[in-house]
Amino acid sequence: MPSSNKKPLPRSLWSALFHPWVWRMAWRDSRSQRLRLVIFSLAIVSGIAALTAIHSLKTSVERGIESEAKSLLGSDLRVSSRKEITLEEVDRLAEMASRVSREISFPSMMRFLPEEGARLMQVRGIEGGYPFYGKVETRPAEAWERLQKEGGVLVEPSILDQFSVAVGDRVEVGGIQLEILGVVDKPAPRGSRFSGFAPEAYVNLADIERSGLLGKNSMAGYQVHLEIPDAPGSRELKDKVREGFPDTRWRMETPENRRENLGKALDFFQKFLGLIALASLALGAIGVAGAVHAHVTRRIQTVGILRCLGCPGNLAFGIYFAQATALGLLGALIGAGLGIGMQTGLLTALGHKLPVSVSPTPEWLVVGQTTAMGFAVCCGFALLPLMKIREVSPAVTLRSGATLKGSFLRALPVYGLLLGLLVMVAYGNDPSWKDAFAMVGGIVVAFLVLVGVARGLMAMSRRVVSARWPYIIRQGVSNLHRPGNQTLLFLLSLGLGTFLLVTILSAGKLLNDRLSLQQSEESPNLYLIDVQPDQVAGVKALLAGEELPVLEATPMVTMRIQSIRGVEVGDLKDVPRWVGRREFRSTYRDQLNFTETLIAGELATERADIEDIVPLSLEEKIARDMKVSIGDEITMDVQGIPIRTKVTSIRRVDWSRFNLNFFMVFPPGVLEEAPGFNVVTTRTPTPEASGDLQRKLAGEFANVTAIDLTQILEMVGDILGKISTGVTILAGFTVLAGLPILIGTLLNGRDVRLKESVLLRTLGASAKQVRRILVIEYATLGFLTALTGVLLAVAANAALATSVFDASPWPDAMLLFTVFGAVMGISVLGGLALSRGVTSHPPLEILRGGS
Amino acid sequence: MLKDVDLCLEEGETLAIVGPSGSGKTTLLGLCAGLDDASAGSVELDGQAIELLDQDARAALRNRLVGFVFQSFQLIPTLTAIENVLVPLELRGESGQEAEAERLLTEVGLGDRLDHYPLQLSGGEQQRVALARAFIHRPKILFADEPTGNLDSGTSGPIVEMLFRLNREAGTALVLVTHDPALAEKARRVVTMSGGTIVSEEENAIV
Repeated sequence: MPSSNKKPLPRSLWSALFHPWVWRMAWRDSRSQRLRLVIFSLAIVSGIAALTAIHSLKTSVERGIESEAKSLLGSDLRVSSRKEITLEEVDRLAEMASRVSREISFPSMMRFLPEEGARLMQVRGIEGGYPFYGKVETRPAEAWERLQKEGGVLVEPSILDQFSVAVGDRVEVGGIQLEILGVVDKPAPRGSRFSGFAPEAYVNLADIERSGLLGKNSMAGYQVHLEIPDAPGSRELKDKVREGFPDTRWRMETPENRRENLGKALDFFQKFLGLIALASLALGAIGVAGAVHAHVTRRIQTVGILRCLGCPGNLAFGIYFAQATALGLLGALIGAGLGIGMQTGLLTALGHKLPVSVSPTPEWLVVGQTTAMGFAVCCGFALLPLMKIREVSPAVTLRSGATLKGSFLRALPVYGLLLGLLVMVAYGNDPSWKDAFAMVGGIVVAFLVLVGVARGLMAMSRRVVSARWPYIIRQGVSNLHRPGNQTLLFLLSLGLGTFLLVTILSAGKLLNDRLSLQQSEESPNLYLIDVQPDQVAGVKALLAGEELPVLEATPMVTMRIQSIRGVEVGDLKDVPRWVGRREFRSTYRDQLNFTETLIAGELATERADIEDIVPLSLEEKIARDMKVSIGDEITMDVQGIPIRTKVTSIRRVDWSRFNLNFFMVFPPGVLEEAPGFNVVTTRTPTPEASGDLQRKLAGEFANVTAIDLTQILEMVGDILGKISTGVTILAGFTVLAGLPILIGTLLNGRDVRLKESVLLRTLGASAKQVRRILVIEYATLGFLTALTGVLLAVAANAALATSVFDASPWPDAMLLFTVFGAVMGISVLGGLALSRGVTSHPPLEILRGGS
Repeated sequence: MLKDVDLCLEEGETLAIVGPSGSGKTTLLGLCAGLDDASAGSVELDGQAIELLDQDARAALRNRLVGFVFQSFQLIPTLTAIENVLVPLELRGESGQEAEAERLLTEVGLGDRLDHYPLQLSGGEQQRVALARAFIHRPKILFADEPTGNLDSGTSGPIVEMLFRLNREAGTALVLVTHDPALAEKARRVVTMSGGTIVSEEENAIV
């Protein structure tokens, strides 16, 4: 024998995985199956694409918020108070800052000269260099600087049109007249709380003090903006201020708070879509596991030969593990590419509609992480069938008919690893262990239900078949439990796919329903604020004259909480501080509106007396925050007058409908005399109708402010619409994920069924008989798959509808029937496709084992 | 399935195991080659007790000492003829042996079919590839399970001739399981099995 280079092949698994021979054998072994293997690798694509897209989107938006959070607040710390912040206090605060700026804002009537039209404006007097981050944009550009130096007023552009005034005209505020210096295109950042309903007007702080308005206005808000280089963490900073000013009830806000608030708004969709991505990934991974199982089953003999010729178990395992990882990597890379496309595409489409500007560029770190995670899940699932390779005996070379054997106990660590991986992916989506376990638990339950149904079906088909049945039916039903049956894999792949598809489509429908609710006739798009009690009838008449509906006309009274269960609110340890600081705008009425549901107690309908203990109805979430329940006493401070109340009912409110809702509802008879105003809501069909109404209101009821929600509603609608499209795309992806799995499952079954069918043909069965047998088998499978998948989806939909969307738990029957029919159809077509080869292949070729 | 089987084979010796179906011939061969586990008793190969070795150690022992020829050829369908022949050497970590594989394949008459896949070869050709594979790593013992069982008489003649010639040239011990009395006659010793035991043992007068 000629001399050779001898480097012994490794025996350990790790070394085997990196040895070139293993990869060379893996490549050679794939020769006859490459197309089939590539189809299988597509199963993982949609899961990884969805995962990558959703996490990248989240990161892009967070990055946008991060980079703009400071300019969204304009400073490093905003201190607000309803009581004056004294100059001495400002000086002390200034010690911790490099720059400081004072602001006083309050609602006030402003008269526009020379026509003398008047309207309620939110007047903001700002002194100092605020905003420290970001810029106020005005027309003309130098107007903001002029305002600081010379005094004057800046208004929103629409005000000029509304009152037919121009830059250079004058307005009257309190006792002084100011010149309009320009209009504000990009305002100074506002506090996160909805401080006023009126359009803003900017003035010099010195002018406010000169106007004499401040002394009379109880609605004034005082703010100090601080620029603090190298500011400590949000909590630390606030604690430091509280320590220095223990007797104040200041509200503080940092860029971190602003970030959290914005983040929360997008959080829900990200979590929901993340759940779908996770499920889609799990489905794909199950598909890959099924494909690898089928592939390895076909390779038992090869493994046996290799073992016979001296191949160690680790090396044989390594060959197929290498194939699985290559497949997984291919699928993961395609998935990542698609994910990047989805993320950048969606960001480009949403563009300026997001609250912060986000550039549509790939988030490479996230792409890397999600791809690696998805790849790991895929490889983890592939381990389940691959582990059985080590159990293949070399003796299979001596006898035919060997099957893959594996022990559940040995696979237990792999199951543990898989659960761990899925929980980690889920945690990446929603950083709460409880939620992560719940998500994975949900998928495991769906998985177990399908496995249970499959096992049940196999057991039943074994028992029910009777010798009296016609042969074709007997054979078709018996195929469900015979060796080489497709029942488990079919139910798992198509059943989980059906479940996901229906869940996603139902969620998309719930979103759309929500959207159409907001745009329904019952939902207002124009609020008329500050309607005085004696003006309500007149405003209603004006609306009637314009042929606009009066949707609601509700009184509103501002108040604070004084004590809960007899304890001063400031002394309550377990109640958040904001409860004591908050100004509640409450109403009184004797019935629920259409967006409220009573969840505890009874709404008081009798007139109450202010001298008695007044029955009070609380909104569910505020009751939870205040830690009160039915029977608890709360003393309210209604503009200086204490009113003792007792919680007698708790309401659930659907806040998304934009109608008027309140945390606290009083019975009639108590608040009528308290100083307050009314809000009237209506729905205008067109912007012109809205403009007409607003002009007439300014003429007849100058103090009434109109807030047009059309634009906000349109923007919300547009964003929800885009998200709904995203959900539909995701549903499409699930179908795409399901297809390779289904094709794979059918192809796996084909080898067994083809041989059987050809044998039957050889024994004299007609092609029609063979086809019928297969159709019966696959129709039964399809029926049960569709039924289980749809029922699981109905349960998921009910959970989503009641817990998240507050909608009817019943899904769209049309959708269910369509999907049911489609799944049945696909199954039967699959069965027929299997029978195609029976007539197109010469029997001898198949009986000889060729393919 | 097997009981009271006591068998010893010297270096370079040839042994045929005959007997009816189900008599335990293939089981015995599987045990001797370390492919199966015996529930009792001991099998020694080149002085090593197989039952004391784990599966990987047995595989290593086979790779070093044993060659196989199977009734159903057992070629790896995704490898070409020459790649199939090279596998035992590759498993030893030996590379650069293509010329030797080509020489062996030429010797069995397949010099022009090196890059054909098993499916592109006839049964006789496949068995010749299996023969080349069985000898490439110069085993001390060759186990052949019905090597002509799937071949017609016209094809099997040259295969048998090659099997014994290669065996002679390489000085390999040969264990043959066969139904074919003509093939059994070519071995020096013939063991007849029935019901899992050896019922007779004869020696052929072979030159």
